[in-house]
Amino acid sequence: MKRSVREAGILWVRLMKKLVRVPMLLFFALFQPLIFLLLFSSVFSNLDQLPGFAYDSYLQFLVPSIVALTALNSAFQSGIGMVTDMESGMLDKFLISPIRRSSILLGKVFADGSRAFAQAMVIILVSLVMGARFETGVAGVLVMAGLAALFGIAWAGLSNVIALRTGNGELTMMLGILITFPVLFLSTSFMPAALLPDWLDTVATFNPITYIVEALRALVNTGWDWGAVGQALAVTGGLAVVTFAAATAAFRKVIS
Amino acid sequence: MVTVLIDVQSLVKVFPGVRAVDDVTFGVAEGEIFGFLGPNGAGKTTTIRIIVTLLRATSGTVIVDGMDVTKRPEEVRKRIGYAAQFIGIDDDLTARENLVMQARLHGVDRQAAERRTAELLELFQLGDAADRRAGTFSGGMRRRLDLGQALTHDPRVVFLDEPTTGLDPQTRHALWDYLRDLNRRGVTIFLTTQYLEEADALAGRLAIIDHGAIVVTGTPAELKAGLGGDAIIVTLADGVLPAEVERAAGVLSRFSDSGTARTHERTVRVFTADGSARLAEVVRALDAERVAVTRLELSEPTLDDVFLRHTGGRMRVEEVKPPSRMLIGRRRR
Repeated sequence: MKRSVREAGILWVRLMKKLVRVPMLLFFALFQPLIFLLLFSSVFSNLDQLPGFAYDSYLQFLVPSIVALTALNSAFQSGIGMVTDMESGMLDKFLISPIRRSSILLGKVFADGSRAFAQAMVIILVSLVMGARFETGVAGVLVMAGLAALFGIAWAGLSNVIALRTGNGELTMMLGILITFPVLFLSTSFMPAALLPDWLDTVATFNPITYIVEALRALVNTGWDWGAVGQALAVTGGLAVVTFAAATAAFRKVIS
Repeated sequence: MVTVLIDVQSLVKVFPGVRAVDDVTFGVAEGEIFGFLGPNGAGKTTTIRIIVTLLRATSGTVIVDGMDVTKRPEEVRKRIGYAAQFIGIDDDLTARENLVMQARLHGVDRQAAERRTAELLELFQLGDAADRRAGTFSGGMRRRLDLGQALTHDPRVVFLDEPTTGLDPQTRHALWDYLRDLNRRGVTIFLTTQYLEEADALAGRLAIIDHGAIVVTGTPAELKAGLGGDAIIVTLADGVLPAEVERAAGVLSRFSDSGTARTHERTVRVFTADGSARLAEVVRALDAERVAVTRLELSEPTLDDVFLRHTGGRMRVEEVKPPSRMLIGRRRR
């Protein structure tokens, strides 16, 4: 355990240095969510007048969705990094050193989580400037970013599966984009459940993003809703376990 | 007492449809520079990747410093350094950071890693560039840094896969000096190369590998001596008919120790123990048979001749292609 943490730590430090030095790595996943945040909060601002819309403003409703979108974008960046390391020979360098194979993925998980956390904080700060209020205060904001990080880790596992199976950076990015949109719109991200068509409401129930968005929305708008947070933790944690089991299997296949 | 550091027995690697390594056996003693010489696709990289634990053998055994690569890969990894054909450097980190990270990954503690890094930066003359990002480095600097990365944990043996491919001649020669220096410090070196002159300049002993099999092993001098003396090489006129080449070969074979002459396109060569003494005779014989000669050479045998003798083909050096860097996806070579 101590050994894994030490080894993963070395690799985490490397990825953090890259993140700080190559601003694109930090901001790449933020552009689209920021644009959505600015556009949607204006374009849909009158939605708050609809009967059944239970939030103070569309912005209050939207911020959690944008945080989740950011985490999703961030996650799909992870596989691209994996392909880069495979192509540049860095992965070979890690494989040739006497570290545990699992430490390589573990270091990446920590780094993906850290990046998603930082990116979620940027979105939250921008929305604060735009006038959003956070019911649960600073503690709530930290919990939100933590949930976003976990959510990012869960989807990063999927991104790494694609990366390891295809070995192709472009494909990894394309599939990421392809997955993001249905996942996002087939949920309560942009429209409250009460206003969704019935079939969509049903689909949304099976969409993991719905749970994270509902938990974040509660933290922003109503307060400490432990039920929602617990559900989000369970669903996202479960997803993370599944995607990382798949990523580990794909990783083993590549290195054997 | 010679210690065998690398012991490879009956190594076989089969990829779907290809026998990349076909029953290869050799040993490398401590303190040697051992060269693996062969054209692209001969099985050099596959062999090296099996020895350094990055690839699993189909059959056969490989023991490095007493450790079986299949059974105790981690012990092997602790003991060896490896610089792949395609350099693995993080361009966003500085030279110093890359080196420290490699040392740390090999279990060296922070202080020792920094000390060792400073030494390596000095050794490879990267001191001035130590704190610059590796992405800004020239090809030669990258190669040196990569070599440094293979040495951060003081390994007893380093594996270098085509360490000078893609470098200009000047940088290549400088790198040879580093490698000789390293060897003098007691590091055993196993290197693959497709350059004959590189094998000749560096390797104490070498194996020539072609189509996955070792065709001959020995010191460069032994291999050349094995050809029997000097080479007489006759080049015929451009556009000469194959029959004419054969006729010339017939004349020259009279002077060959083995009784045979080798032809390649429009050149004919024979090996003879006392080439210089018989050169005049050769000229008279060719003249008498009215063979139109454009060039006549007498040379000590080169490794090229050795290669030619043992593989029946000229060393196929394909000059540096833009590297296909997918080492993981298709690691066949």
